[in-house]
Parts: sequence; structure tokens; C-alpha cells
Amino acid sequence: MTFKKLLLTTTSALVLTGAAQAEDYVIGVMSAQSGYLAPYDGPAYAGFQFCVDQRNAAGGLNGEYMVKTIVKDTRSDIAEGVKVVQEMLDDGAQFIVSSADADPTIAAAQITMADGIPTMTFAGTAPVLTQVGPHVFGSYPADNQQGAVLAAYARDQGLQNVYLVKSPDSAYTLGGPEYFGEVFESLGGNIVGTSNYSLNQPDFSAIVTTIKAAEPQPDVIVTWAWEPDFPAFIKALRGAGLDTQVMGGDVLDTPTVRGLGDVVDGVVHTSGGFPDEGSDYARFIDDFKAATGTTPDNNYYVNGCDIVNMIEQAVAAAGSTDPGAVTEAMAEIENGKGIMSDFTFKGTDRMPLRDVVVARITGDGEKEFVKRTKADPATLPKP
Amino acid sequence: MDLIIQQSINAISLGGVYAMLALGLAIVFSIVGLINFAHGDIMTFGGYGIFLSLAFGMSPVAALAIGIGAAVVMALTLERTAFRAMRGADVVTLLITSFAVSEILKVLFQNTISARPVPISFPAAWSGTYEIGGATIGVVPTVSIIVAFVSLLGLTLILRRTATGMAMRAAAEDLEMLKLLGVRANRVVAMAFALSGLLAGIAAVIWTAQRGSVDPMMGFFPVLKAFIATVLGGLGSLGGAVLGGFVIGILEVLTQAFLPDGLSPYRDAIVLALVIAALLWRPDGLLPAQNANRS
Repeated sequence: MTFKKLLLTTTSALVLTGAAQAEDYVIGVMSAQSGYLAPYDGPAYAGFQFCVDQRNAAGGLNGEYMVKTIVKDTRSDIAEGVKVVQEMLDDGAQFIVSSADADPTIAAAQITMADGIPTMTFAGTAPVLTQVGPHVFGSYPADNQQGAVLAAYARDQGLQNVYLVKSPDSAYTLGGPEYFGEVFESLGGNIVGTSNYSLNQPDFSAIVTTIKAAEPQPDVIVTWAWEPDFPAFIKALRGAGLDTQVMGGDVLDTPTVRGLGDVVDGVVHTSGGFPDEGSDYARFIDDFKAATGTTPDNNYYVNGCDIVNMIEQAVAAAGSTDPGAVTEAMAEIENGKGIMSDFTFKGTDRMPLRDVVVARITGDGEKEFVKRTKADPATLPKP
Repeated sequence: MDLIIQQSINAISLGGVYAMLALGLAIVFSIVGLINFAHGDIMTFGGYGIFLSLAFGMSPVAALAIGIGAAVVMALTLERTAFRAMRGADVVTLLITSFAVSEILKVLFQNTISARPVPISFPAAWSGTYEIGGATIGVVPTVSIIVAFVSLLGLTLILRRTATGMAMRAAAEDLEMLKLLGVRANRVVAMAFALSGLLAGIAAVIWTAQRGSVDPMMGFFPVLKAFIATVLGGLGSLGGAVLGGFVIGILEVLTQAFLPDGLSPYRDAIVLALVIAALLWRPDGLLPAQNANRS
């Protein structure tokens, strides 16, 4: 009798546990804790987990599916990233959030392709990343959107001649300036020169000297260089006495760049959002700070949270957590509600169409809002 | 002509930094046989010293002095805590130890300060320019050239004119004989590390003034280039390290400036191919040490 009771109890517990697990939605997260991706994956993961916790406290995604996250460190190493993605799939991940760059996302998407597990990058913006397959999604405004908006703004300012500084070492640093140049030329501007640099290049003085010798002189210099290359470049540029207008991608939207002082005064860059007073974004910052004590000082936090919003809306539309159904539903989202900005996947190549903000850095370490607009999908440069 | 003057200044400026770092590596290698890959992290530590000093409101000049001092202290600390215990081990063991120390320092920087680069903002006047014969020359590259040459000259004087310097050169020739002659080997080795830290600190000052930020990986790439410079100059040869540093810096700037766009992605490969060609021609380096370890 005792044995029968024990068996029944155990069986019931297993059934109940099984039922509870069936309602869990398992999301695998690649998050580099060290290396060049750590500054981006860290904030993105913090925002993501903050909003996952909020959802779980309210009963789960759509009040229905509790989210269980599997978080693994990639050390910014692509081979390690591939390994941890496979481990997360083996542990039952139904959705993969990949690192904040195109290259590790493309590598992860090769692994998730066989099972069609939807894979979304934390903040990779190179539009080539979704070319791996229909299960891959961007989350941030793509480089061609940012390049198109920035080029239109530059032409609106009457700027005629651009010099492009790009690096073939990453899809981001190469693609951004090229998309800008393509749109800039289509709007009547001229590319008067280009220079290539290597990531972590020790010295930019040779490039700056070449720019000084360019004929005609550029009205604007455009680069998608990130830290520490951008600080090195702008210091060399201003140190050589060139005060040419400089424009760049969303990667310039960081406290480090703003903290460079006079040399970045007037630098214009794109961004995924701007925390206007009273906006959802401003409220997110307040809530995050109150809960964690950390003030989100870049867009990766809020975009991490918006990835939760994207997943929740896709799951709601799919009516299930089946990977194939979620993938199809995600691709059909139109005017989804986000905090940084709303998002549309329908009609895109799964890089969401979102607002692009143009901002200007001031000499006192702040940034000021310039404009907010969406790129015209009809005129976007092709990846 | 203006372009050639400006690119020459760029080349000498970069070469000067590489030369200082290469010399720092060579001093230690010549005495204890250690290729110290943590040398770059000593430079990074100096950079963080500057950042933290500025963050605590110190004047830029004081911050630079503290940065240099921090690098010296770090070099001495590593010698005492990590490398002294390994004295006498074979080159590979020492190499792996230095890699381990380097990794530990990087993770410490990342977790205790920031994974992101942190900004260093010096006064705007420090980024000024002046004109020579129609060419506009930056103040920072000029100062970096002067500082590099003064540092190298000062070090030469120390090595040639002081008792400690002579002891260090003697240790580079034969450390065991030095001990038998009653010279305190630990003091000589510590002095070598201190000088190497001083050079890394000065390099950190120039580097941060030119680049405007510090990150955990800041020292890695320049020290990699400096290591190539020491091999090119002749492993263990102090003069060779300086020459190798300038050659690498000049090659990098020239290839950046004058290679056609289509070839620019191959810039590093071209520079390294030239280094290999030079080593095929002179396998012990351009200025080999008298007791050269064949590179």
C-alpha cells in the first residue's frame, strides 16, 4: 500500500512537473562576458533579463508561458559561440538570442538552421546577417537604414563631398559607410575618397594625412568605426588641424565617445532611439535604475528589452511556442509595439524597419536630438 | 612634399612607440630570457592610472606622472609575484607564464574597471598643430617623437654610464657570472623590470594622448608589433629592438599611406612578409646580440 502511494505520488509529481515544464519557453542567450563584444552583449543581456523577469513576475509571456533562460558566455569567440549554441539547443532552447554583431550571429544561425530555431541578434545591424535563412532576425535598425537616413540628412545640410573611412574586417565597419555612400551619391553627392583601416589599428595619422591631401576636400567624413578605433581616429583628425564635419553609425552613441571632450563636439551619429521626456524609453530608464541601481547609458539595454517584446508578440500571434510557428509569426509582425521604437518585420528581409534617430554630440559630453525618421524601404541599398 | 613630411612624422612617431615597447621587452629578455607578453598589460595599467587620476580630478600633468609610476609599480609587482619564482625555467615555460599573467590582468581590468574603453580627455591645446614649410604638423606626434628619443637616449646613458646599467648589461651577457662576482642578481633583474615598466608607462602616455581612450586590450596589439620588432632587430639585442621598432612603425605607415585601396586589406600581411624576408636574409636579426638566440 505504501509502495502504491509512493508510486502514485511520484507519478503525479512527474506529471505535474511535466505539465509545468510544457508551459516553459526556453530561450538560449549568447552573451559575451569578455572580449570585444562584452560592452554590447552585457547591457543588451541586462535589459533582456530585466524584461524577462518582469514578464515572469506577471505570469509569463502573454500571461501564459514562463520564460526560462539559458545564458552562456562566448568570450567573444565565434568557435565558442557555435559550441554554446549547440549546447543550448541540446538543453531544449526554442529560441536563440545571439551576440550583438553580425559575424557571431551568422555562425549561430548555421547551427540553428537544421531545426529552424528562430535566432535573433542582440544588436547586430549588418543586413547580411539575415541572409543565412528565414529563421534569422535582426532587432536593431539595420546599417542600410541608418546609412540611408544619415545620407539624406547630410544632403539636407548641403554637404556635397564625402570621404569614407571603412574597415573590411567586419560587416558593420565596412557596410555602414558603403550604404551611406550609395545613398549619398544617389541624392547627388560625391565620394571624394575612401580609406581602409584594420580593427584595432594602432595609428590613424597616415589616413588623416591622406584625407588632408584629398582634392577636392570633403565636406563630411563618414565612418562606422567603433571604440577604440573611433577615438583614435578623431583624435588624429583634430590633432592634425582638420575640423571637417564627422558622421558615423549608432556605435558612436556611447558615453566613452561623448567623454572625449572638444574633439567630438559636433559629431553627428545615428541611433536606435532617444529617451524623450515622458516617453516609454524614459520610463524604462527610470524603472531599470530603480530596480538595479544602474542607469542605462546606451540603447543596448532598451533594445534587449524590446527583444522580449518582439518574442512575446510573435508567440501571441503564433498561438504557440513551436519554433516554426514563432518564426512565421515574427516575420509577419507589422507595427509591433516597442519601447525604443515600434518595429515592422512584414515586407522586410527580417531586419526590422524601425525609427532611426539622428543625434549630435556636444562638447560638454551630452548628445542633442536632431531628428527621428524611418528609412524608405523602396530606396534602401541592398545588402 | 608636404605629404612626405607629414607621413614621415607619422612614421617616426609610431616607430618611436614601438621602439620603446620593443626595448622594454628586450631588456627583460636579455637578462632573464623572458618574452614578457604581459608587457602590454603593464602599458594598459599605466593608461588606467592616467584615467583614474583624471577621474579623481588631478591635473593632466600629474595624471601622466601617476600613469608612468603605475606602470613601473606593476612591472615590479609582476617580477616579484609571478616571474621571480619562475627564474631559470625554460623559455617556453616563461612564455606561457607571461601569457597567463596577461590574461589574468585583462580580466581584472575588465571586471574591476570596465569592459568598454574609457575616455581620456586632455586639454584641447594638447591637440594643436603648427606649420613647417607649408606642412601642418600635430603637436602630439611631435611631442611623442621627442619623448621617445629622449627616453631612448636616457636609457642608453643609464645602461652605459651607471653602475646599475653596467650590471644589467653584464647580466645580459652572463647572469651566473654576475652572481659569482657578488652582484645582487635580484636587484639587477628588478631594475630591468622597472626600466621596462618605465618605458611601458611612457608609451602609455603617448598612446593615450594620441588615441583618447583606454580599454583592457589596449596594450595587446602594440606589444605584438613590438615583439615582432625585437625579433626583427635581433632577439636580446637592445639596439636591434629600437631599430626593429622604427622599421615596423615606418613600414606600417608607409603601407597605409601609399598602398592602393585594393591592396590595403593585405597591409599587415605585406609588412610581415617583408619582416620574414629580412629574417631570411639575416636570421639573427638586423643587429643581433652577441650571444644571440637564433630567431
